[in-house]
Amino acid sequence: MEPVLFVLTLATVAALSAPLGVLPLWRRTAVPATWIGWANALAAGLMLGTAYVIAEAALHERPGKLAGGALLGILYIFLTHRASGIEDLDLNRLEGVDPLYGFRMLFVSGLHGATEGLAIGVAMLEGLPFGALVALAMAVHNVPEAAVLGSVLRSCGVGPGRTAGLAIAANVGQILIAVAAFAVVPAVPGLLPWALGFAVGGLTYLAMSELLPEAYERAGPTGIALVTSVATGFVVLARGFVR
Amino acid sequence: MSGLPPLVEVFLYGLVTALATGLGALPFAFVRKVSPRLLAHANAVASGLMLGASFGLLSEGADYGRLATLVGANAGVLFVLLAGRALGDREVEFGRVRGDDARRMVLIVLVMTVHSVAEGVAIGTAFAGGATLAVVITAAIAVHNVPEGLAITAVLRPRGTGLVACAGWSVFSSLPQPLLAVPAFLFVDTFRAALPYGLGFAAGAMVFMVLVELLPEAFEEGSRSTAALLVTVTTVAMVLFQQYL
Repeated sequence: MEPVLFVLTLATVAALSAPLGVLPLWRRTAVPATWIGWANALAAGLMLGTAYVIAEAALHERPGKLAGGALLGILYIFLTHRASGIEDLDLNRLEGVDPLYGFRMLFVSGLHGATEGLAIGVAMLEGLPFGALVALAMAVHNVPEAAVLGSVLRSCGVGPGRTAGLAIAANVGQILIAVAAFAVVPAVPGLLPWALGFAVGGLTYLAMSELLPEAYERAGPTGIALVTSVATGFVVLARGFVR
Repeated sequence: MSGLPPLVEVFLYGLVTALATGLGALPFAFVRKVSPRLLAHANAVASGLMLGASFGLLSEGADYGRLATLVGANAGVLFVLLAGRALGDREVEFGRVRGDDARRMVLIVLVMTVHSVAEGVAIGTAFAGGATLAVVITAAIAVHNVPEGLAITAVLRPRGTGLVACAGWSVFSSLPQPLLAVPAFLFVDTFRAALPYGLGFAAGAMVFMVLVELLPEAFEEGSRSTAALLVTVTTVAMVLFQQYL
């Protein structure tokens, strides 16, 4: 398979895995708050693990450029959060929601997708098997992420089919960005370490600013810490099986 | 320090790196008033420093053996889990502080002390590889220790521990370095085999300490985005610091 088609296929698989997270919500409209907490913790752990393996793979690059890229990635999410007014907003609210809240939720999901897409694209540039690992980690990450999005949408009265559709829609952007990053980044000399750093910084900041705070609000710290560290550990372990 | 027996030399070098940890208390000399917000921000900075340090330990451990490192990391997680539970069951006091804060203070000193064991082994095995780089290695580890002292001080100082005591606890947390450097230097092959487990243990304990004790409080008292910004930027700074030095 052509490398770029390989990237397209795996990024698509990662995006299409999202509806799996909606499955437990097919017949119910309300889920216990602790489930949402643990789903967020699982998503956060997979994101942190992915950031770790990308950073580890990128260590042969110049540290200054990687750190510069990471700071830009952090700043990018920080500023988009601030500009869109979703900074410090409770993103998993189940009551008292309005259409603006819904749009902000979908916007946040799209923002995640963009960073995840970049992570898949630049990881593919470090080696296709390694990129496949990152795509797989993001595919699994999208399941609890969609479960959280789905539980908000379902409690607002959105039907299960439409919820699944919206979960995919929130993630299709990452397919485009993964393919674009894979094609464009190597064409610009010296861009790769910046892009790798950007992905690591963005993933880490998303986990720290959204997923973990939401998680702690809904379940006790011990359970959250365990789920997060085990999920991180699995990604780090899986890296050992990929050359 | 030439002319001394090599064993004494390894011990003294390890002692120098331990003393350097005390320097981490210095930035807090200028902090006068302690508010809940400062506590949250100090927690976030300590979290970033520990996550950055764990990144270095994990990637170094993975060079020796990824599976061994992860086995060690699991043991580290379990250690903090059990230590936290044991401390939660009794009335903990740290100076004049009691309750949850005292538990966090005891835990950070405990976790950082245990994590120094792996660093002491790293010093000893590095010296066994040839003393030509001894000064360079010592300087590097001494410099690495300063932010670790800062992490301890960031947890102790806002909860009412005096500055000198913070420096003292920081040095204390690094004492396993000279103590472990000597046997690691003597029995280098045995210790080298144990090194990935030790590095993983240190990383697992620190990451879990951050997730279970420091981050929840950092998010509760301050704004999320500020806490997240402090954690991530500090992590990047710490990783950069360790990769360059």
